[in-house]
Amino acid sequence: MTDARLARRLTAPARPRVLRLGNGLTVLLREMRQTPVVSVWCWYRVGSRDERPGITGIAHWVEHMNFKGTRRIPKEQVVRQVELAGGTWNGYTYLDVTTYLETVRSDALEGMLRLEASRMTECLHAPAEVERERTVVISEMQGSENDPRTYLDREVAGTALQAHPYRWSTIGYLSDLRAITRDDLYAFYRRYYVPNNAVLVVTGDFRTAAAIRLIRRHFGRIPRGADPPPVRTVEPPQCGERRVLVRRPAGASYLQVAHHAPAAHEDDYPVMLVIDALLLGNPSTSLWAGRHGEGPTKSSWLHRALVQGDLASDVSGVLVPTRHPYLYVLQATVRDGIDAARVETALLAELDRLGRGDFGERDLQRARNQFLARYALESESPTELAHQLGFFETIDTHRLFLDLPRRVCAVGAADVRRVARARFDPDRRTVGLLRPSGAGDGSAA
Amino acid sequence: MTPAPRTPRRTPPRRRPAPAPLQRVRLDNGLVVVARGNRATRSVTVRLLLEAGAAFDPPGRAGAASLLANLLDRGAADLDAQAIADGFDFFGISYRARVVHDSLDLQIRLLAEHLPQALPRLRLLVEAPTFPEEDVRRERGQRLTALAERDQDTYAVADEALAATVFPADHPYHHPVDGTRASVAAITRDDLVALHRRRFHPAGSVLVVAGDLDPARAIDTVAQAFASWSPGPAGGERARFPDAPRPCRPVVRVRPIPGKTQADIALGIPPGLRRLDPDLQPALVFNTVVGDLGLGGRLGAAIREKAGLAYYAYAPFASGLGAWPFMARAGVATDKVLRAVRLMRRTLREVMRSGLKTAEIRDAKRYLAASIPHRFETNHGAAAQLADCEFYGLGIDYPERAPGLIAAVTPSRVAAAAERLLDESCQVLVVAGPSLSPEELS
Repeated sequence: MTDARLARRLTAPARPRVLRLGNGLTVLLREMRQTPVVSVWCWYRVGSRDERPGITGIAHWVEHMNFKGTRRIPKEQVVRQVELAGGTWNGYTYLDVTTYLETVRSDALEGMLRLEASRMTECLHAPAEVERERTVVISEMQGSENDPRTYLDREVAGTALQAHPYRWSTIGYLSDLRAITRDDLYAFYRRYYVPNNAVLVVTGDFRTAAAIRLIRRHFGRIPRGADPPPVRTVEPPQCGERRVLVRRPAGASYLQVAHHAPAAHEDDYPVMLVIDALLLGNPSTSLWAGRHGEGPTKSSWLHRALVQGDLASDVSGVLVPTRHPYLYVLQATVRDGIDAARVETALLAELDRLGRGDFGERDLQRARNQFLARYALESESPTELAHQLGFFETIDTHRLFLDLPRRVCAVGAADVRRVARARFDPDRRTVGLLRPSGAGDGSAA
Repeated sequence: MTPAPRTPRRTPPRRRPAPAPLQRVRLDNGLVVVARGNRATRSVTVRLLLEAGAAFDPPGRAGAASLLANLLDRGAADLDAQAIADGFDFFGISYRARVVHDSLDLQIRLLAEHLPQALPRLRLLVEAPTFPEEDVRRERGQRLTALAERDQDTYAVADEALAATVFPADHPYHHPVDGTRASVAAITRDDLVALHRRRFHPAGSVLVVAGDLDPARAIDTVAQAFASWSPGPAGGERARFPDAPRPCRPVVRVRPIPGKTQADIALGIPPGLRRLDPDLQPALVFNTVVGDLGLGGRLGAAIREKAGLAYYAYAPFASGLGAWPFMARAGVATDKVLRAVRLMRRTLREVMRSGLKTAEIRDAKRYLAASIPHRFETNHGAAAQLADCEFYGLGIDYPERAPGLIAAVTPSRVAAAAERLLDESCQVLVVAGPSLSPEELS
């Protein structure tokens, strides 16, 4: 099968019915009758990018508060009704998005729509609950700090980005988590949780016409709100390499190399997916699907150079689809007894290969094959497809997701050379090293 | 013109999705093959499960099974590592090998059209791995780095210390799956070759293939690739590991790790239940109420929701070829450990004293029964469920029978299971992170 035919075969079953209610709510629906479940996701175009120093972490904390009861649904019923329908529920907050999901038995669809409509308009944020959740969120932060790499992630993002609000992590700064008030939380909630700033996605075992009637019934009367303010700051160009050293108790040294990545709508984004496939293998566009314990592929360039080259015990990377330009971060766990500078040199040598065009058509075909297989794996269950459609619609448009196979298959060697040369420019690089405290001094930073 | 229909109050009744076609055969060499079709997808997951987990590591060689798993694709028959990797990677076939205590499993996820060429390759990996000396050395080195990292992970350290305390040194569950620095350093290529010869046989193994396929034809394709896998010694019964002894008094262990802002608490009560225990369903219902529903059941309600002490407080549930203890877990700030431990103990004491409410039991039963379809939503989810049912001898019809088994759970059976799971006098408590004296926690 040709790539183009395969690409069409993969995107056809993902194409949703699109609807916009009078109040501005975007609705995406896709019937998938293979399993007797429906997946309901309610997305908001709000994330840590909409914060400022002083209230960092607030988008995520609001998400927590929105599980704590609404005017019509008592706290203990919020997740209970999902569980009684055999469902899983969750929510997450990231740079651009906040989302809530339920995947339940298909006869429970209406209850989930009622829950999400109520969550959009009438969460309580009771003061006592705010105080209890403050320490829960701080505990979440401290739990992630038990992994020393968390410190390196923060330092590298905060160094590579100097102005754009993507520079702080979604969990926020401890001082802000201690200081944010109930009024801060509630005002943030009211500002961003309006139908014209939301995307509702329903996938699975239902009839579209019936689902539309239910959606109109539960969401149709919610009034439109003021459009939330856009992020205005654009990261100024970086001129000159930046280096950062972190010292923490750790079992190994970790190296990170960050470059500026394109936003998902930019022409460079599909090229970066091909580059990611060459460097690490099996490129993903889903924050949700997870890697199932599948690390970098064994034929990927960085695995061969660093892990099979006895320099690193592990290598990984993240290319997240985002609304604004973010970062492409590569990370290696330095092998015991190896100088981190050697790992860095070897890693950068692989990036140089891209710019020189030191690869063949078979490499590109492998990258395309991997992208298409991963695309299918990440979008063929109701829960996973609802995530992908909703995520891309929230950061831009779901058509971006549907168009990716075609765009990735069109990437050629010249595109890879051009994008690698521009994006992996040493003057636009940030290198971070975490060295176990107590060990010798950092030589890379 | 027909009048506009009245808006129905409920979604109208309609046909349920047809049950997925499912087949099972045992090949002449003993390998059990299960195939499940899901034509709405384009992918297939293949999962091959062998009774070759860490519980079967040779004495003094903890971590051998997991090193072996990582080395299966480093050379097989006359293929070198690069040829194996290319054979999978070129078509976007994702491969991974994973080990838990009971089993070792290989999984590939791929577009259905690549299945015929992927299966013979998978067969080579399980039957004829070469374990090149150079790769054994490299894998050992990587593992030693990973173990140094693990020593910094409070969650993993608490897990490891709990198992090491509950299970005696010669018990198959005593050692961590990844081994220890001493045991890994001692593992040689000969150990891996011998372990492979001893544990890798078709008899007793399960291969599940799930996804965009016709079950009968998929079974033929699997048979073509695997029927000539040499049977080896006649497959015996599934292994069955002894129960951990109950300590005669409470035990407290502290594992300090400098520089941590959060501690991990693990409380275990041996022996717990095996997978085939007749009390499994009532025990699951009990565990769901105590440590799962909502944000971690009663434990989550007390420690997270009411006291705001933790992001997670719950009761994981484990049962396998041997019994795993009842476990309660929480991650809390280092200065909140004493309070969280008190709440954890108080919650369990309250459950022992007053039992569960009828409404809680009803909720848990409804949740457990209704959540079964969701576990089959993805091909890899379906493959994992079916492989597990077959491996543990529950039968591949178990997901269909389970709702009936759950419905038959009565409050008195839950109370009897609780009696078996909880016992205040033999709790093992482990805290990883802060440097506390065990006396403070007693």
